[in-house]
Amino acid sequence: MNDRSQLGHRDCGADAAAYALGALEPGEAEAFRRHVATCVVCRDEVATFQALADTVALAAPQLPVPRRLRHRLISSIRREPRSGRAATARLPRRAAWARWLPAGVAPAAGVALVVATALAVGFVLSSSKSGGNEVGETRIVQASVATPTGSAVMRLSPGSAELVLEHFPPPPAGKIYEVWLQRGDRAPQPTNALFSVTSSGAGTVYIPGYSRGIDRVLVTPEPLGGSQAPTHAPVIVARLS
Amino acid sequence: MLGSNLPTRLARLRERADEDLMDLVGKGEARAFEVVFDRHGGVAFSLAYRMCGRRAMAEDIVQEAFLSIWRTGARYDRTRGSVRSWVLRTVHNRAVDALRRGVVRESRNMSDHQAAERIVAPERTEAEVGRRDEAQRVRSTLGELPAEQRQVIELAYFGGFTHTQIAEMLDQPIGTVKGRMRLGLTKLRLLLGDLAEVRA
Repeated sequence: MNDRSQLGHRDCGADAAAYALGALEPGEAEAFRRHVATCVVCRDEVATFQALADTVALAAPQLPVPRRLRHRLISSIRREPRSGRAATARLPRRAAWARWLPAGVAPAAGVALVVATALAVGFVLSSSKSGGNEVGETRIVQASVATPTGSAVMRLSPGSAELVLEHFPPPPAGKIYEVWLQRGDRAPQPTNALFSVTSSGAGTVYIPGYSRGIDRVLVTPEPLGGSQAPTHAPVIVARLS
Repeated sequence: MLGSNLPTRLARLRERADEDLMDLVGKGEARAFEVVFDRHGGVAFSLAYRMCGRRAMAEDIVQEAFLSIWRTGARYDRTRGSVRSWVLRTVHNRAVDALRRGVVRESRNMSDHQAAERIVAPERTEAEVGRRDEAQRVRSTLGELPAEQRQVIELAYFGGFTHTQIAEMLDQPIGTVKGRMRLGLTKLRLLLGDLAEVRA
């Protein structure tokens, strides 16, 4: 069985359709899932094809629900106490950034968050050196990442910010990571911070244009040279407010 | 007193969005689950029946799927798509499992309309009429695809066959089968337009 993580996205595009239709062999499906976790292009394709497969489901002749099925089901759940709900991690509501994504990208944004390993818990560690005085204070903000490996934190000091990455996958072939700044629900503003990571997945990126009032720092894969508006779902979202 | 408040409570729940209901289901609110089932049980049962062709089997698949949803309701993530999509994927996965266990293949040769005719209720609700119209539109759009593309999509999605099985059945290379799936879905996207995103 091929390990699809070794393949470029051009080799696995056809698999995205088969995967969405549930037609890959079990071993292939697992390998493809691993690949999708690291390939933004395939992730977009899977999201698009998955939505289409959902629509295909609607082609089935529509029948009323048998009453006995409803009765049986409702009786079952009333007898069955549920457990472990509170302990189940909840994903955040649709993020504000999803609204400005191009129509075809929006489903992918959801998929991207599915594979997030560090969700938007947004915990903030403060290492105030002056008893809460802004001057000299450094804040560390954990960012959400939509990759199976890697972590990202924002290191915020008055007037400056850095994004520090560890074990982060490189951008897809032919792409580069671009940093965006977002205020409230407004469209993200591009920066000239375009970057990749070292072979070990490390990177420290200065965030140009950072100032008070920036609510989120986003990173998306973009064509080489960057974009004026995001074309992909973010792989990093750092909530600063 | 609780009994007298029940209709009002249910009525209020029925006014709420699917995503809000799933929040309540995640907290163990059985009434919210009932509303979710009432909204999506029909499309779920229709899919299961289309896939396995047996009423009892379809009921079992839907029951298992919704019980799974009840048990894992807190895992619903609205950023991944609509509640209906989530329900349909859960049902589809369970039906594929059943099909691949090989227990329901032989009886699926009756036409869709024959099947519908046999089960149809004396009167349909407004929601059911809406579902039927939507289904006809999707079926009609599927019918616009080249036959070879529609065939592989239906064999895969409704038949639960893998691309390898389909390639053997059609005596075509695996690459051709996968390519037809991709082309078919891509064309379907163009044809369906707004309908391509499943809405609750």
